[in-house]
Amino acid sequence: MKEPDNTERDDGELAKRARQLFDESVQELDAETLSRLNRSRQRALAHAKGSGAQAAWLRWTPVAAAAVAAAAVVIVLNPGNGVDELPRTTASDLELLLAEEELEMLEDLEFYRWMALEETAEATGQDDHVG
Amino acid sequence: MSAFAASFAVSSAHNSYTGAAALQREQELNRFLQDVEKRALRIAEVSVRDRDEALDIVQEAMIKLARKYAMRAVDEWTPLFYRILQNGVRDWHRRRALRNRVMAWFGTPGGDDDDCDPVAAAADPAGRTPDEQLQQREAMKTLERALAALPLRQREAFMLRNFEGLDVAGTALAMGCSTGSVKTHYSRAVHSLRESLGEHWQ
Repeated sequence: MKEPDNTERDDGELAKRARQLFDESVQELDAETLSRLNRSRQRALAHAKGSGAQAAWLRWTPVAAAAVAAAAVVIVLNPGNGVDELPRTTASDLELLLAEEELEMLEDLEFYRWMALEETAEATGQDDHVG
Repeated sequence: MSAFAASFAVSSAHNSYTGAAALQREQELNRFLQDVEKRALRIAEVSVRDRDEALDIVQEAMIKLARKYAMRAVDEWTPLFYRILQNGVRDWHRRRALRNRVMAWFGTPGGDDDDCDPVAAAADPAGRTPDEQLQQREAMKTLERALAALPLRQREAFMLRNFEGLDVAGTALAMGCSTGSVKTHYSRAVHSLRESLGEHWQ
């Protein structure tokens, strides 16, 4: 039972050494790169301001929501209309958020083909290691 | 669902901020991006082996986070940001694979960038001898080559868990897979790295 302990310790040491080297490489980033990162961040913040302005119109959403709710009440009270999927949980919100990123990938089937090849290669590699 | 994912979901309602609150939110976003940008760049750079490309990917991830998710709870930003970043990296690999295929069709070399040196332009850090610096850089280059040889998802799991320090749940959200998959990918990555790097590397 000693060998697994050694392996685990080696894995821990490897991870620690890798982390240390990575941290050092982060610290060694040159001034030009840091400057470019700073400019990228400023651009991103400008977009956030843009979305803030966009959010301003969202202040009208309570009014719109009230109108939609009123319409929904009319629809629900109207017999024969099976509106039973109106509530949206926060859990589905999470799924929606994550799905939003996935949708972009779905746009390109070529990407999925490539991912499938990756998975196959990975599975093959694993078979080689398990022994 | 994990506790992390549950808290993520509970606080996922969209908020809008105005005035002082908007300014505070912008400052928080600035601090977050400032805190994450250097590590994100290196993680992207290890994946694509090109600093300029990595800078573009990080910039796109920053802009996307700011544009679409700035109103989200602050503790959601890290997994969201890395999710966007990983998608950017995957998209880059897809484009490159397509480009190589097109170039091969026309009978020209695909322009493999594996010979680029992402740390060669790094400035000298203080407090170490040139020999020590050289050894560290060589070790990092060796590690980068080993990481580049890993399957994509193993590399992602290793870098997000080890380099960025995300927990299993956060890594799962960033990678868009289950926590079980993260553990498997990470374990395989460490195993493969140990095999390829050998004892002398450590």
